[in-house]
Amino acid sequence: MLWFSLLVLIPLAAVVVKAGGGGWETFVDAVTNRQTFAALRLTVLTSVGVTALNMVMGTIIAWVLVRDRFPGKAILDLVIDIPFALPTIVAGLVLLSLYGPNSPVGVHASNTRVAVFLAIAFVTLPFIVRTVQPVLEEMERDFEEAAASLGASRLTTFRRITLPTLAPAIFAGAALSFARGISEYGSLVLLSGNLPYRTEVTSVRMLSYLEGGDTASAAAVATILLVVALLAIVTLDVIQRRVARRG
Amino acid sequence: MSIEVRNVTKRFGDFVALEDVSVSLPTGQLTALLGPSGGGKSTLLRIIAGLDTADEGTVTIEGTEATNLPARKRNVGFVFQHYAVFKHMTVAKNVAFGLEIRKKPKDEVAARVDELLRLVHLQQFSHRLPSQLSGGQRQRMALARALAVEPKVLLLDEPFGALDAKVRKELREWLRRLHDEVHVTTVFVTHDQEEAMEVSDEIVVINEGRVEQIGSPDDLYDKPANDFVMGFLGEVTRVNGEAVRPHDVDISTAPVLAGAAQGTISRVLRVGFEVRVTVLTDGGEEVTVQLTKAHANALGLHEDQTVWVSPNPGAVPAMSRAV
Ligand SMILES: Nc1ncnc2c1ncn2[C@@H]1O[C@H](COP(=O)(O)OP(=O)(O)O)[C@@H](O)[C@H]1O
Ligand SMILES: [Mg+2]
Repeated sequence: MLWFSLLVLIPLAAVVVKAGGGGWETFVDAVTNRQTFAALRLTVLTSVGVTALNMVMGTIIAWVLVRDRFPGKAILDLVIDIPFALPTIVAGLVLLSLYGPNSPVGVHASNTRVAVFLAIAFVTLPFIVRTVQPVLEEMERDFEEAAASLGASRLTTFRRITLPTLAPAIFAGAALSFARGISEYGSLVLLSGNLPYRTEVTSVRMLSYLEGGDTASAAAVATILLVVALLAIVTLDVIQRRVARRG
Repeated sequence: MSIEVRNVTKRFGDFVALEDVSVSLPTGQLTALLGPSGGGKSTLLRIIAGLDTADEGTVTIEGTEATNLPARKRNVGFVFQHYAVFKHMTVAKNVAFGLEIRKKPKDEVAARVDELLRLVHLQQFSHRLPSQLSGGQRQRMALARALAVEPKVLLLDEPFGALDAKVRKELREWLRRLHDEVHVTTVFVTHDQEEAMEVSDEIVVINEGRVEQIGSPDDLYDKPANDFVMGFLGEVTRVNGEAVRPHDVDISTAPVLAGAAQGTISRVLRVGFEVRVTVLTDGGEEVTVQLTKAHANALGLHEDQTVWVSPNPGAVPAMSRAV
């Protein structure tokens, strides 16, 4: 508990105090600043979109990794972790060379919102794969057979049995993925171009506050992100409980 | 006939798990598939259920050709060794599952679930999660779940295999009583001959992918078709080269029986109400004789005594009969 306090609670409290120290006005100013608001909106909406996509793709990838047999499976299993293993700025360089001006695959995403989406999707992909995978691995197959012998189609079995069993893992991964998404910096600064109102994300905005010596505003924005993250975690947990109970 | 399995062969790669197996099971009967582990019992049961498909041969259930029918269309109840419970659902929801996906009216489902939970003595646990039940309770829940959809046949794969000895014994007696109440054609897999003999109307002995013998528990015990069945269903000893059960060996302290083998008692062991005597015959055989305490006392048997042993004429040795 002490460890947890030192590591998490004290810095969090410091941020909130710092934001509060600037007075309510700094807070309101920071949020009502159009450029900051645009950055916040972009960050949150993109993270929501990416997280939703990850919930589907991550589950499918985990499924394929556990249930299917194909050549190169072990390699794919390793590759999944690359976004984790790369320092984010290196990830940014990789993305820039892939989807930047000289894109070998013909996708030119630099300086667009697609860049932000791609960068966040890239670094958050492993979360759901890695939370769902062990649950799938441990899951006995016999309940699927039990459902079939009771007359359930594959789809019904998946919807009513498999999915609710996986739900806690999917949503835990989603919470991690979302939290990482809204705070992402390194991987997207290079490709997104950080254009105000268009591709500038919250973390970049915060940095420019800090560079301008306005720590109070930066802390205010950080506090908002914190609240958004908490809200997201609570919401995900509520939905998860619903899904798990639905079966 | 409720279940007709004809000439079924199943291979896993090069390995032949079932070889030309044919079994007919009459309606309403409780049948045991008995045999050593790895013999192919589960494979046969899963082929009947549609959870595996045979490479050759056919399966007919209640007159319906089922060989190519998927499991969900066979209307077969299946109970797994490790319960296969739906962990996130309450006991009542588990039991209701098959009825709900058939879109039965809510009150009908509730009434049926209630009736089944009563049948398996779990009515007070209906709102619990499976994780809050003991192994025996979970298996009873799984049984209620399988029975809920009124299956034509009920298949159980070592249903009590994961339970401890005492619960296992209780549950097998309970299964027998349940079957007498419900009368659904039931097949259960076991590797425990005592369990098979105690519970079933008929036993199918399966070994190395083949049916060794089909018959009533008494038939199998008294008239085993071959050495394997004889050995699997009970203890065997040899007298003058003939395989007999230890309790079918006559022992006497004088050479009164023609053809009896002379020998010396090497060991007298008393286990509860019975006495097991080991005799080393002059012909070099080690014969085990099983007799009651009273009988042993009357004969005054002790170690190093000279005795004569012979197979009881009433017990026909297995070897003498054609398979
Ligand atoms: N899916 C499978 N793949 C490969 N071999 C299998 C498979 N299922 C069963 N077997 C083999 O088939 C044989 C019979 O298995 P099983 O029917 O489970 O035996 P039992 O239930 O009598 O113990 C065993 O040797 C087992 O290893
Ligand atoms: Mg088995």
